[in-house]
Amino acid sequence: MKAFKHITANSVEEAIALIRTHNGKACLIAGGTDLLGVLKDEILPDYPAAVINIKTIPELDHIKKNNDGLKIGPLTKLADVVAHPLIKKRFSCLSQAAAAVATPEIRNMATLGGNLCQDTRCWYYRYPQHVGGRIMCHRKGKGPCQAVKGDNRYHAIMGAKVCFAVCPSDTAIALSALDAELEITGSQGVRNVSLNEFFTTLGNILKPDELLTNIQIPYPPKGAKQAFLKFTLRKPVDFAIASVASVITMQDGICKAARIVLGAVAPTPVRATDAEASIIGKAADGVVIEEAAEAAMAGAKPMRMNAYKVEITKTLIKRALLSIFQ
Amino acid sequence: MKITKDYRFIGKATPRKDAAEIVTGKATYIEDVELPRMLHGKVLRSPYPHGLIKKIDTSRAENSRGVRAVLTYKNVPEWKTGTPRHVRVLDKKVKFVGDAVALVAAETEEMAMDALAHIEVEYEQLPAVYDVEQAIKSDAPQLYDEFPGNLMPLDVPVFGPRTLSSIVLGDVEKGFGASDFIAEGTGSYENIANPLPLEPPGVIAEWSGPNSLTVWSATQSASWHRFIMLSKMGFPDIRTISTQCGGSFGSKNYSAQPMFYAAALAKSTDRPVKVCFSKEEHFGAFVLRLGSRFRGKVGIKKDGTVMAVQGEWLVDTGAFSDMAQAQIAVGLGELQLMLKCANWDINTKLVCTNRNASGVVRGFGGQELESALIPILMQTLEQGNIDPVEFFKKNYVKPGQGYYWRDGNHWVSKSKDYTEAFERGAQTFGWAEKWKGWLKPSAVNNSKRVGVGVGVHGNADVGEDVSEAYVRLNPDATVTIHACVAESGMGQRSSLCKMVAETLKLPLERVNITPPDSLINPFDFGLVGSRGTYAVGSAVISAAEDAKEKLFKMAEDVLEAAPDDLDSEDGMVFVKGSPDKGVPWRSVIGLMHTCTGFGRFEPDYSVPNFIAMFVEVEVDVETGKLDLLRVVTATDVGQIIDPPSLAGQLHGSIGSAGIDTAIFEESVLDGNSGHMLNLNMMDYKWRSFAELPRFDNTILETPIQTHRYKAIGVGEVSTSPGPSAVFMAASNAVGKRLEGYPLTPDKILEALGKINL
Repeated sequence: MKAFKHITANSVEEAIALIRTHNGKACLIAGGTDLLGVLKDEILPDYPAAVINIKTIPELDHIKKNNDGLKIGPLTKLADVVAHPLIKKRFSCLSQAAAAVATPEIRNMATLGGNLCQDTRCWYYRYPQHVGGRIMCHRKGKGPCQAVKGDNRYHAIMGAKVCFAVCPSDTAIALSALDAELEITGSQGVRNVSLNEFFTTLGNILKPDELLTNIQIPYPPKGAKQAFLKFTLRKPVDFAIASVASVITMQDGICKAARIVLGAVAPTPVRATDAEASIIGKAADGVVIEEAAEAAMAGAKPMRMNAYKVEITKTLIKRALLSIFQ
Repeated sequence: MKITKDYRFIGKATPRKDAAEIVTGKATYIEDVELPRMLHGKVLRSPYPHGLIKKIDTSRAENSRGVRAVLTYKNVPEWKTGTPRHVRVLDKKVKFVGDAVALVAAETEEMAMDALAHIEVEYEQLPAVYDVEQAIKSDAPQLYDEFPGNLMPLDVPVFGPRTLSSIVLGDVEKGFGASDFIAEGTGSYENIANPLPLEPPGVIAEWSGPNSLTVWSATQSASWHRFIMLSKMGFPDIRTISTQCGGSFGSKNYSAQPMFYAAALAKSTDRPVKVCFSKEEHFGAFVLRLGSRFRGKVGIKKDGTVMAVQGEWLVDTGAFSDMAQAQIAVGLGELQLMLKCANWDINTKLVCTNRNASGVVRGFGGQELESALIPILMQTLEQGNIDPVEFFKKNYVKPGQGYYWRDGNHWVSKSKDYTEAFERGAQTFGWAEKWKGWLKPSAVNNSKRVGVGVGVHGNADVGEDVSEAYVRLNPDATVTIHACVAESGMGQRSSLCKMVAETLKLPLERVNITPPDSLINPFDFGLVGSRGTYAVGSAVISAAEDAKEKLFKMAEDVLEAAPDDLDSEDGMVFVKGSPDKGVPWRSVIGLMHTCTGFGRFEPDYSVPNFIAMFVEVEVDVETGKLDLLRVVTATDVGQIIDPPSLAGQLHGSIGSAGIDTAIFEESVLDGNSGHMLNLNMMDYKWRSFAELPRFDNTILETPIQTHRYKAIGVGEVSTSPGPSAVFMAASNAVGKRLEGYPLTPDKILEALGKINL
């Protein structure tokens, strides 16, 4: 692995100042479970001169109750998210999503913020430098998306135009279903965005001198039921081929509110708004569930090798709704 | 039938001699070896699948910090490896993405890496070809001038002048004419999976004179870097030393490329050079399993008699052949063990393509051939509604039946009838209850369909090649075995000590084995093809018996008794029946002497081993997900030497490019750019301990006439019946004929008509 300077920041302000002093030639490290792989394989043309350690910023590691819901610091370890009793009880889909990430060892190191900010797993994008050289592509600023003509079995089935890599984060899907809001701090101050606004086709909206400083999750409506399902080839240590998180509020057997979010099907988490609309106001039955799955996938445009992801996603939606309705 | 045995060590679990060292981190792996003045070598690799180096400028790299040598095709030694010899250390032509272009030796690994970035190369890109059938077309890009049509020669005498490359016997037309059921088609086993030992390959080379080379390596078979590489390198005197080897599964029997790189860099710097591949290089530039496609026809009678097998076996070896011909020979032999048949017409084509090369992998030809052919064979059984257990039981080679082995010679099995082992395995598995007929699930639970399958495999290489050993009795009643045997995970070094300790009736801790070093040991072919138990075992047992005979001869005068009347136990020699009146070895041998016996094993291809594998899988028809629920193996090993080591070998059938090549293990090659896309442990799917199936071994111990302990090895064969057994089970679960390996959700959903690919 190529050398870099490792600098420890003790506060958010210090971290931002350090990024600025390095003129964009620095990156942040928390758990490092994603970043170290990126650096070791030298997948990106720019290698950081400095890596700024933010694990040492105490105010970013917490899980706190407040009037609006729950405030989770981005440095909270995934293992802590999994184990937290209130998250288990009131935000169960987040707890399940965090538990579905990687392995116990990785969850002990990886953070919630890191899980949201991790880079895509597209295998063209991730091709290592030292076995013939990294592969350039639209996401890296040069050339077309290699997945279009290449092996796209794991790529997007909807919502992609210039880059068909998918968002690999499991917790993002759950947080989107829970309508979470993210707090971003940078040299220009603090801004708040909804989880879905955070993600973009080529990653996220973070500017070079910004970092995630808080994750605010509102309490779901009373009686809301949740589900998170993830399909992988291998049970542990695998990224989703498709995932779904849903938070549904039922009243007297009728669906009052619904959030259904799909993962690993597009460059960003996808809210299946048509599917949500198709079940609101209806009683839960097999036909409604079937219609919701069809509605969610109506806009799918699978690539040459990934039509199977459409089928799997439909199945996950149906199973998630079934588990909620039963 | 079991004879009464009263062994001290044989058949009992004893701690492995290297166990404590491994688990405490003290075992010395190649990465741990540091020699004085040692340099580190790194490899610049090709971005193109096929191309000519038009210009290469190394001047900046040569002046880079810490660099001691930069080599290109222009200044490497004229060594050639491959089968036949056709692979240079570096070539002007690159033949796969990741092919070696230049080598750098520097004071540190980091300095060598930095220097790689300063080598400037201009390529002329050439069209590339990745598919065997495309590659043999007349207008296909040509990889080698000397191999027109990308066809590699098959008449290479790897196993002598008659080396097997086809099976042509009897009259297939007549056979098909007399068949009740015939199936025809193409079967494809082209995962080109990586057996994926934990430790990537690595070699250190040092020249102690212009013609005298020492290599340290992470190697399964210590002698290969000597006896195979001698001829490839112009016969320098090569001393080879194996470090503790972090797994191999065949792939690290030797490491010709890293050895060439280290030896070339060491030669030009006159310093020792270490070349350890990274995990990415291990995936992208080290050996893979052969690609295998079988296009042909099988005919059987109603009673399961195989009447004819005809077809063409297309073997894809990638950018060069590293013993592919040897694997073809063994594969064709193994097919005859599995299928008794009078009429054969199988021809083989060995084809090179623009991808990382295939090499030696456990299963060695047979797994590749059978996994491609069995899907076709299955269709005849389906037509005849024949239970595959009955079919395989009937057709596996029996004592007295013959086969043409890899050397092209006809051998008659002196092994045993494995029917009982097979039946016991079927019982343990509950085959009779679970088998519902072809393309019928054995159970249905909502969207989950359970199916069962079976495969068999055997190898007559358990007695392959030569082993020699010395056993030295020391006056302090310890014993040193001199045998060139490396440890790549099977525990065989410890098992050999057990055989010698048992033979000499000594506590196990008094018996040790020399390090795997060709300078201090006689010849041993290595731990391949399950030969450790019979071949290597025979050599050390003979050496121990020879030493004992010499000891008794020496004791003749001391004890005033004929050698035949003497016995020895726990380091005492005594007249049989009077152990209390014995004398210690030191009184017999003398403090300034030792007593050494010699043993040699000569090849014997007449004792095929056997393994059957029963699998139960579950398929979710709504997602296409295939899960392995249960595995039962069945074998007869004559005599278990070390129960945990044997169990480990059988359990190892799941990974190491075995069972899971039917489920998710595969190397993914981009058919446009030639890049291998899953060069990491995340994207290359391999099973973790968190999803192991229920696994039972049914092991019989019917004595077999091999050596003193009547044992036969089965370690290598356990992966081989797995892929086709899973293929069969998955087909039965979903009720459809399937196609290709691995059976990922896309393939299953397509077979179910849920998607169109």
